[in-house]
Amino acid sequence: MADEKIQIDVLTLDSVQCAACGYMMESIAALPADVQEMIEYTEWSIKSKDGVGKFLELKGKVLPTICIEKDLVFESIIPQYEELIDEMAKRAPTDAMRERIISLRGHGFEFDKIQENLKKAGSGQATRADSTITS
Amino acid sequence: MAKQMLIDAYRGKRTAKPPWVPYAGVHCAFLINEPADKMLQDPELLAKGVVETAKRYKADGIPLVFDLSVEANSIGCDLKWWADNVPSVTNHPCSDKTPKDAGLEMPTKDSGRWPVLYEAARIAKPQLDELDCVLMGLFCGPLTLASHLAGVRIFTDVYKHPDFAAEVIKFAGEVGARAAEFYAEMGCEIIAIVDPVASQIKSETFQQFVTPNCQPAIKAIHDAGVTSSFFICGDCTRVMEDVCKIGTHGFAIDEQLNLVFVRDLARKHGVGFGGNLKLTLALSLGLLSPREDAIVSLAAGGQEGYTFAPG
Repeated sequence: MADEKIQIDVLTLDSVQCAACGYMMESIAALPADVQEMIEYTEWSIKSKDGVGKFLELKGKVLPTICIEKDLVFESIIPQYEELIDEMAKRAPTDAMRERIISLRGHGFEFDKIQENLKKAGSGQATRADSTITS
Repeated sequence: MAKQMLIDAYRGKRTAKPPWVPYAGVHCAFLINEPADKMLQDPELLAKGVVETAKRYKADGIPLVFDLSVEANSIGCDLKWWADNVPSVTNHPCSDKTPKDAGLEMPTKDSGRWPVLYEAARIAKPQLDELDCVLMGLFCGPLTLASHLAGVRIFTDVYKHPDFAAEVIKFAGEVGARAAEFYAEMGCEIIAIVDPVASQIKSETFQQFVTPNCQPAIKAIHDAGVTSSFFICGDCTRVMEDVCKIGTHGFAIDEQLNLVFVRDLARKHGVGFGGNLKLTLALSLGLLSPREDAIVSLAAGGQEGYTFAPG
């Protein structure tokens, strides 16, 4: 389907308080604009009940963790750009999307829209026990 | 409250009981009913928050701030402020150039928020001394500061562009040494390098980039005759041996590590260790009993080189 996207869930303590969590989130938020069109991502802070629920649902083991299509892919290791591209490509829903992602392997991170992208992912905005997170 | 006991534990020595440090951070603002952003920019409120928190929790030591944006902000990074959290860094001046090409310079006592911290320390220090509580200085470690400067690309650059990464992280280490000197001048008797993202890399990368670039700060701390530590977060199992060997008197870890494993490693290397009350699962969410969690930590930590603290 044309509007099908790769789902990325980032399990964190809190991307504002915890620098490791913050740079896990930024590794996704700094992906190039072309990749941004193909992914949907959400921060799940374990400080919130929703975040705890997602941690249990995905069988998380450590924080922070990047999950791609429900797989625990980067556990306590901030990925290199190419590693992220490769892991997303492996899980792309269509061959066309896989090829499009792979074609961006040499592009590298973009830093001009990080804050905007982090805001869309709810970064730092749901860190209380009763915070609601929607993916 | 007992300063000497805390210093002894940080240096790996036996103590009559485990000393206690609440890494209160912006929780100090909550306790004095002020927003975090206001407290962190007002020296009188900051001193009040730290002293009130030390009294309330009967702390043996307390950090002046637990805010890893101070150093980045003092050399040109912009901040986003939060009412209930530490500020976050919003731009990366070295995302496409070296610190030299970006025109970055070493911070002075007048840069960024350093004047606020100097003034807060001046107010808080005598009050903490009266409580027999150590004023602790915590500053941003080289890899975390390099991440603030260059952004997330630094984790790719350590493999793809090691010369660039080395330049940024070396600069960050020198900034850290300056911060250590500032905290020593403020009268901090324990000064810690806090490098949370150093848990997110391989051991070889830690040895290549983190260990050498902590040495200027460790030297500054030891030249000042005070006690050093290295704080790391997350699941840092793969770099724990490197942490023990970095050259500080001790280290502190977070709730994700097994304290028995950490204790045995610390004792093998003759360094102090601190942690690891479960900040999230017990203290924040209450999914575990904080009391039982504390008992487990105290039993595992023992009385040789151990500081009881949140993880």
